[in-house]
Amino acid sequence: MNKIWTLFKREYRAAVRTKSFIISLLLVPIMMGGGFAAMIIMEKNKDTDDKHFVVIDHSGLMEEQLKEALEVRNTEEIFHSRTGEQIDAAFIVEFMEPDLQDPAGQQLALSNRVESQELHAFIEIGPDILHPAGEGKEAYLKYYSQHSFADDIRYWFQNVVNNSLREMRAAELNLEEAQAQDLLWWIEVEGMGLFSVDEKTGEALEAERTNELQTFFVPYILLILMFMFVMMSAIPQLSSVMEEKSEKIAEVLLGTITPFQFMMGKVMGGIGVSLTIAAIYVLSGVFTLKYIGMESLIPVDVLPWFFIFTVLFVLMVGSGMAALGATCNDNKDAQSLTFPGILPAIIPLFLIAPVIADPTGPLATTMAFIPPFTPTIMVMRMASSVTIPMWQPVVGLLGVIIYTIFTVWIGARVFRTAILIQGQKPTLATLYKYAFRG
Amino acid sequence: MDNIIELSGVTKRFGSVVAVNQLSLAVPRGSIYGFIGPNGSGKTTTIRMIMKIMYPDSGSLIVNGQGDTYERLHNVGYLPEERGLYKKMKIGELLQFHGELNNGTELGKWIDYWLERLELKAYKEKKVETLSKGMRQKLQFIATILHQPELIILDEPFSGLDPVNADLLKDIILELQKKGATIIFSTHDMAMAERMCDYIFMIYRGKKVLDGTLENIQDQYGNDTLRIQSDLGVEALRGMKGIENVNNFGKLQEMRLEEGVDAQKILAELLKRARISKFEITKPSLNDIFIRIASPERKEAGNE
Repeated sequence: MNKIWTLFKREYRAAVRTKSFIISLLLVPIMMGGGFAAMIIMEKNKDTDDKHFVVIDHSGLMEEQLKEALEVRNTEEIFHSRTGEQIDAAFIVEFMEPDLQDPAGQQLALSNRVESQELHAFIEIGPDILHPAGEGKEAYLKYYSQHSFADDIRYWFQNVVNNSLREMRAAELNLEEAQAQDLLWWIEVEGMGLFSVDEKTGEALEAERTNELQTFFVPYILLILMFMFVMMSAIPQLSSVMEEKSEKIAEVLLGTITPFQFMMGKVMGGIGVSLTIAAIYVLSGVFTLKYIGMESLIPVDVLPWFFIFTVLFVLMVGSGMAALGATCNDNKDAQSLTFPGILPAIIPLFLIAPVIADPTGPLATTMAFIPPFTPTIMVMRMASSVTIPMWQPVVGLLGVIIYTIFTVWIGARVFRTAILIQGQKPTLATLYKYAFRG
Repeated sequence: MDNIIELSGVTKRFGSVVAVNQLSLAVPRGSIYGFIGPNGSGKTTTIRMIMKIMYPDSGSLIVNGQGDTYERLHNVGYLPEERGLYKKMKIGELLQFHGELNNGTELGKWIDYWLERLELKAYKEKKVETLSKGMRQKLQFIATILHQPELIILDEPFSGLDPVNADLLKDIILELQKKGATIIFSTHDMAMAERMCDYIFMIYRGKKVLDGTLENIQDQYGNDTLRIQSDLGVEALRGMKGIENVNNFGKLQEMRLEEGVDAQKILAELLKRARISKFEITKPSLNDIFIRIASPERKEAGNE
């Protein structure tokens, strides 16, 4: 055990003292936070130049309505309510009569004006938009621009046109304003948790409204963290062992320690690295959430499971990678073996959406009991807003422990045989031979 | 005699190649035992089996009174043929690491002592990658002996060292023996083996072909070697019958007497041809014995 500890210390120091470790430690949160930061920066630096449009209204109904809405927008909505600073673009709209003789010519001319950036877009309103139901009716709202799919401005026109149409239809039916509102009222479904009993007081607790952040954000972050730990501490075992083999360090060490001690010292070093990163991220996450008053998002009851599963996950993948590393002779071998070794970490990434959408569904439940995927999938399910039966993580954990013992055993056998063999290509047949026949 | 290593009928195969064949060997405690043999003859495989890095296919192997257990490696220091050190580690840290792995005591004191002794003190805080090849070799030697092992196994310890450093290493090895350590080393330097070893073991094609003291080994070959100095040099030997394998050193010629030939007859013949200033009948050198066994045209030589 002393020897494993000595090796662990060396591995741990060698890993955390490198520049790449510090860089990755900082880079990942920067990358994850970078998206949000970019959105905020984009929001702050919004384009406030005037935007010009042409509207061809085949219905003849919308000019007044649009002019009113434009007036409100250009004089009020685009300015910050407190500072009065302009925060959005003003819309300048030119209304054009439809060219009934040559509609295609008109559309082409307008397209050219858009292309030359004189116009931002042009819009065609269909003749039958007020009463679109029935056959042969032409009810459309077409927005022509260079990037019409990604252009959010079109929704402004959509809202103004549809709200105006609703009012017109209500007026035609002689409805009072309140009646019209009743008619158009849309009720949205609210996602709620379940009623429960307070364990201390025995009082019934009200069901709480499901927090969308908790539903998606928390399991997502935990999965990404586990993926990162494996990438930073278990995957590098392969190249590290290969290097020790090719640099003949392995033989020097094997004159002193057993192959099992060698492998375990390395893998334990990886676990130490993971736990260091986990502690840094989880603690800073907890402090940040407390600071911004969102401590309800901290999955306190899941965190111990998260740490246990992280340790086993790194142990499982790390021992496999160390064993594969022992079979490699050069970088080419290492590259071809990294992918299969990394699969237990990658596959759960593709399952984020279905698992979070239905944490108790057959796919999520089944995957949670397949040992290589248990750590990630089980933690994701536990961190979701759905309560899963307590026996599931317990059984999952037992499965992972048994599977991990198995991978460490196989890994140690492959490692022991392969570490001194030079020039033998790592194929499935050789791996099987190393593992079961020595 | 108390043996620190006992091998009995040890065989190791790699596929169809028999790397070590029915090898039996006993290394007395406190001795210096030299392993010699051509490249690929089985020296390193034998050493690796002693170190439990490889497992014999058959036969028994006892080190320090213990059989197939890792306990037997306690108190053993091993310098492999191909040196391997973590390049990014500092010298002091690396020695501390190896010392701890070997359960060494008072490591700080010994690290400073040996760095001083092998003239590496100034590099203690430097990284291994900054050292030259010879320096790395000395560093690896320190890592091998730092924990004061009873048994020290050195696979070609002198290769790559300049004569000054080779001499320094030789002195230290002799010093360690005086303090009670048993030393096994493999080498291609026959002169070094002759001067240092109490016992010499030669392995050829996986089989033991020599084992014993230098004297015993030389006795097996008898006084069949002549060393001659004359005013004509090698010309004096031209067409001479009864001698073979003439080795011309310029001022001195060394040769072997053919079996059954009387040295006096050769001397008489030589006196007719030239002025002889030296005529010595002697035992063959270890180098000569090695060549007799291992040179391609004499594959049948030795005990095979």
